[in-house]
Amino acid sequence: MLSVEDIEVRYGGITALHKVSIEVEEGETVLLIGANGAGKSSLINAVIGATQTCGGRIRFKGQDIGGLSADRRARAGIGYSPEGRKVFGTLSVADNVLSGAFGMGRRHQKEAFDWLSSVFPILAERAEQPAGQLSGGQQQIVAFARAMSSYPKLLLLDEPFLGLAPVWIQRISDAIREIQRRGTTILMTEQMARPALKLATRGYIMRGGEVRRSGSVADIGDAALVEEYL
Amino acid sequence: MASFVSAGLIGISLGAQYALLALGFTLIFGILGVVNFAHGGFYVLGGYAAYSCVTFLGLPYPLAVVAAMLATGALGYVFELFVVERVVDDHLATLMLTLGLYLMIGTGIQAVYGPESPQFGFPVTGTLRFAGFYMPLENLVVLAVCLVAIAGVYALMYRTDLGRGLRALADNRQVAATQGLRPKLLFPLAFALSCGLAGLTGALVTPILSLGPLVGEPVLAMAFLTVILGGFGSIIGATVAAFLVGLIEAYSVVYLGGSKGALALFVLVLVVLIVRPSGLFGKEARGA
Repeated sequence: MLSVEDIEVRYGGITALHKVSIEVEEGETVLLIGANGAGKSSLINAVIGATQTCGGRIRFKGQDIGGLSADRRARAGIGYSPEGRKVFGTLSVADNVLSGAFGMGRRHQKEAFDWLSSVFPILAERAEQPAGQLSGGQQQIVAFARAMSSYPKLLLLDEPFLGLAPVWIQRISDAIREIQRRGTTILMTEQMARPALKLATRGYIMRGGEVRRSGSVADIGDAALVEEYL
Repeated sequence: MASFVSAGLIGISLGAQYALLALGFTLIFGILGVVNFAHGGFYVLGGYAAYSCVTFLGLPYPLAVVAAMLATGALGYVFELFVVERVVDDHLATLMLTLGLYLMIGTGIQAVYGPESPQFGFPVTGTLRFAGFYMPLENLVVLAVCLVAIAGVYALMYRTDLGRGLRALADNRQVAATQGLRPKLLFPLAFALSCGLAGLTGALVTPILSLGPLVGEPVLAMAFLTVILGGFGSIIGATVAAFLVGLIEAYSVVYLGGSKGALALFVLVLVVLIVRPSGLFGKEARGA
């Protein structure tokens, strides 16, 4: 579904990603794990097109998307829930969710909102409230729903547990399982290895802008937990 | 009492005109992050477009107003798409470009129509007298059209998919793009909407006030003042501030005398900015 080959990302003179390659097959949930500054978010940003890459190739469903703008990648079927949620704080919860399905017609939007609020009742309960007034966990649900309202084939989740209380980590994990049940392929980053490993099928351990190890959750689990404490 | 009510009506009528101008101005800033110094130019252009349609094409005035709005909107669309779009994030460049366009509009009109004011009168005249106070009919017509247009802007921004997309772009452009919203499609539309509103106001108001190549300057100043008072980028702020400015202007003319009106306004804005630096309804300052 997604294939990243040898991409480089530089910010000024600093190399954030150095010849990174990953593969995500259809139906998988792939976890990128590593400490702050390992390059996880740079990789996600490169896939959605929020960061310029120099060198390497990004293919989505066989098509080279490296030259496309972020909005065209999104419309090609990539959903994105950014690090730190980044909901539209001045827009209502409903408007946040529906903005993810811009231009897809009222019928699609209504169906998507009905489905998402049946999965996440808080969306209907808080529909008219400005999203900026919600708690961090609630905003994470809104960011998921916004990314899912276009029914993307691939969902990018950047640090979904960041700054959340344990009870919300549990709820967000349930939400991710719900998204998996729909058959959505997921590529997610997380510093908190323990809850994230329970959701993933496969993972990559990153450090210093490079992929250090990869494999099934069983293979890399211990190494990932060690990484978390180093 | 009668003069109090009359001044209030005039103030509301002025406020509705300022609201249309300020809404367009604040939309462009909120969505694109561009301060459109050509806003007054589109007002002037709207006036001359309506004048030309009535005088040279013999169109009825209401059609001329619609034509003026469409023409200024189309020019705004083209200007954004081919000129502003390339440098939309460069504040200095957009400042120079919009200021340059304003000068070109002013000089162009002067070259084509000459520097003197053309004869352009409002087709409806007369005065409505009611219970001791009176109001010019033309102001009443302008007020009605402005209120409908303001309602239209609100419906567009808060009830449609397009408006939702525009508000999402205004909230956070980078994130909006990653959610599939297309700045390249929506920015020119927002610019067209804004310039069309300025053109509409010009077509409506210049027959009552005055039409000339340079009447855009006070309009830009007034739109600027209103938007700063209401909070840069805020739709509701611009609307409330516009009516506030209109009422203050009308009352200060009656009770303080002509030239003190502007003084009262600037004092008010100064006080508001000291107490609330982001304006009445403004959020925190926008990142560069």
